[in-house]
Amino acid sequence: MKQILMGNDAIALALTHAGVDMVSGYPGTPSSEILGNFQKHSQKLNLNTYAQWATNEKVGFEVAYAGAISGKRTCATMKQVGLNVASDALMSASYIGLKGAMLLISCDDPGFYSSQTEQDSRSFAKFARIPVLDPATPQEAYDMVKLGIEISEKFESIIMLRPVMRVCHAREICQVDDTLHVEPLAGNFERNIPRWAAVPPAGRFRQGLEQLERLEVIKEWNWNNLIEPKAKALKGSKVLCLTSGTGDGYVREALEERGIEADVLKLDMPYPLPKEKIERLFETYEKVIIFEESYPCIEEQLSSPKLYGKLTKHVHQIDEFSKDKVLSTFANVGLIEKNNSYKSEKYNQPLPVRPPNMCPGCPHRDVFYSVMKVFKKKKSIYTSDIGCYTLGLNQGAIDTVLCMGASVSMASGFAISDPDKTVVATIGDSTFAHSGVAPLINAVYQKHKFILLILDNSVTAMTGRQTTPERANPTDIDLKKIVEGCGVTCYEYVYKPDLNQTVDFMKSLKNAYENADGPVVAVIREFCVLDKDRADEWLPKVYVEVDSEKCVSCDSCITAYKCPPMHYNDEGKMEIDPFLCAGCSACLDVICPTDAFIRKNKEGK
Amino acid sequence: MKYQIVIAGIGGQGAVFLVKVLSIASAIKGQKCLGTENHGMSQRGGSVSCYVKVGNFYAPAIDEGQADLLIALEGNEGLRNIQYLKKGHGTIVVNADAKFPKVDFETVKIDAFTKAKNKEFSIEALNVYMLGITLAKDKNFPFSQSEIEQAITQMNAKAAPKNISVLHLAIADAKEI
Repeated sequence: MKQILMGNDAIALALTHAGVDMVSGYPGTPSSEILGNFQKHSQKLNLNTYAQWATNEKVGFEVAYAGAISGKRTCATMKQVGLNVASDALMSASYIGLKGAMLLISCDDPGFYSSQTEQDSRSFAKFARIPVLDPATPQEAYDMVKLGIEISEKFESIIMLRPVMRVCHAREICQVDDTLHVEPLAGNFERNIPRWAAVPPAGRFRQGLEQLERLEVIKEWNWNNLIEPKAKALKGSKVLCLTSGTGDGYVREALEERGIEADVLKLDMPYPLPKEKIERLFETYEKVIIFEESYPCIEEQLSSPKLYGKLTKHVHQIDEFSKDKVLSTFANVGLIEKNNSYKSEKYNQPLPVRPPNMCPGCPHRDVFYSVMKVFKKKKSIYTSDIGCYTLGLNQGAIDTVLCMGASVSMASGFAISDPDKTVVATIGDSTFAHSGVAPLINAVYQKHKFILLILDNSVTAMTGRQTTPERANPTDIDLKKIVEGCGVTCYEYVYKPDLNQTVDFMKSLKNAYENADGPVVAVIREFCVLDKDRADEWLPKVYVEVDSEKCVSCDSCITAYKCPPMHYNDEGKMEIDPFLCAGCSACLDVICPTDAFIRKNKEGK
Repeated sequence: MKYQIVIAGIGGQGAVFLVKVLSIASAIKGQKCLGTENHGMSQRGGSVSCYVKVGNFYAPAIDEGQADLLIALEGNEGLRNIQYLKKGHGTIVVNADAKFPKVDFETVKIDAFTKAKNKEFSIEALNVYMLGITLAKDKNFPFSQSEIEQAITQMNAKAAPKNISVLHLAIADAKEI
């Protein structure tokens, strides 16, 4: 049957079709829709499956892995930087192997669309010594999920699926199974202490040897099943393009549209590669070019003087693919003359930049405004974390962004290294649960003095409003109790769309800080304006306009508060875009030095 | 047939909705289709550009100078993506007022923001409105009105009557351009 599917939806559907009945992961663009869509498909097909967001990727991986060693088919989903968090578990699990099946889906983001790194999960698979499948389209992603589960069972190894953003968020008409053919497997953990609890050195040494043997068998399988059938169909041009994932599409389109003669061999499983057999293919070619995203994963596994790629600097080394980059590579290796046919003139006048910003009505904006008002820039360091609130950058209220949880541990570090400044750390509720607790315990027991603001909007907002532990189970899980359990008082502020009150709360924290000998922690209870279940009760729906007589065009509002509806009109006066205003009314009273923001007379927009 | 469409706008304007509608319309037409969307960070009020490639394509993104059509839900976002249009053949359908500069492409311009401000349609339906303008004015647009209406219905049957009435309004308005 044919269905129009986004890549992540195709992956989710394939998981149900492959007999996977345990999925665990942590949201992160571009991977986030997989787990939710799996829940949706399970419900629709009336399947009794487990699919839940874990507190972090390592937890998610380990839940799924235990399922796999008790014989079930399981899956862990995450984005590429999430794999860093899960990597401790992965590195050992790769030695041990499994009994059922486990697909590790790690979604990459070439071009840094929503990520702090462009790291290549295929290279991580190579490092961890597990096979990886690299789909180019939603259809391939669907097929490779099923294939991955099949070979995971066959080789008792975790298999990685590595779709990039242009697969996860691509949409295609896919051919999918009409009905379910595969029954989930029952879980039955069989005690095998030498395997599941192998003790170094002897136990792990043995498993290391088994891992190497397993890889040799998989290389052979890769050749026989995935590479050789395609190699037989090669026409015999002078140039061979080895491709992986989305790179394949760009190469094929460029060749076809520009009438360039070259053979293309797509490597569906870019690791582990049967090196000698692939290199034997090179004999009849003059040049072999490797097109892969984002690291030279294939290139590092092969050696030949005929090879051209990222290591030889003939292919771009950063950013996502384009056909223009493919043509540049062809020109670099001397296949064609320099060709700019995929280039065109940009608009030649300056355009206003439109960086991402917090939504109108978002309480985070008020918190950052108050931080800046109370903790002056010269005497403060603002550490922050990963989430919507990272956009506090726009208000100048963030000095460092590193990775999940780092706001807290870096606040500790700055408290030691630059003690004359006040460190104000900001972290979201989901990120705090993910990796903020351990550094807070560290700070409490070592008495590091800083201020930590936990911005609790009860949702993982940036990635599409996934459920947080507290939201799912508010009676048992309370951030305030968690903070207190770490050994420190937890201040609490329930957000009001009245900036005076938020500023006053921040002042009270400053007083507490002056008398403290360790971290000062506060939970700020907020909401997400996109959270349909809660936003209405929080937003007063009081709309604002500007008294143009009072506005002196001083920039204060758009510098310190930066709410999207605020803009200058043709007369050079501030104006509020009524389409964008959320009606939070927080900008009244405080942010304008001449009180130009006034309540709109009419109700509604 | 090959037809490449860039949809440009601001996060929250519903560019992704149009990708979905156009891929469903392709399926109804029996055409291959590869689309790509922006999620996550780029949805937060920032610039958004989505691609739809109808016909036999393998790569999800569109290169500069390749698009047959640019649907711009906002003027500056249209200009920001103008380099994607095919020289000599490309059409831009843009929501902009009289200040929109002259560009080297066939331009269909309508001030949809003013119409929404005058409550002629709800701002949430801006995407569907611009699709209606496209349907009426882009001579090479590969889909018929009935294919688009079917696609809108398949996508969300409950919201379809409202969306289709905005589509009709746009088609009627397009006569005055």
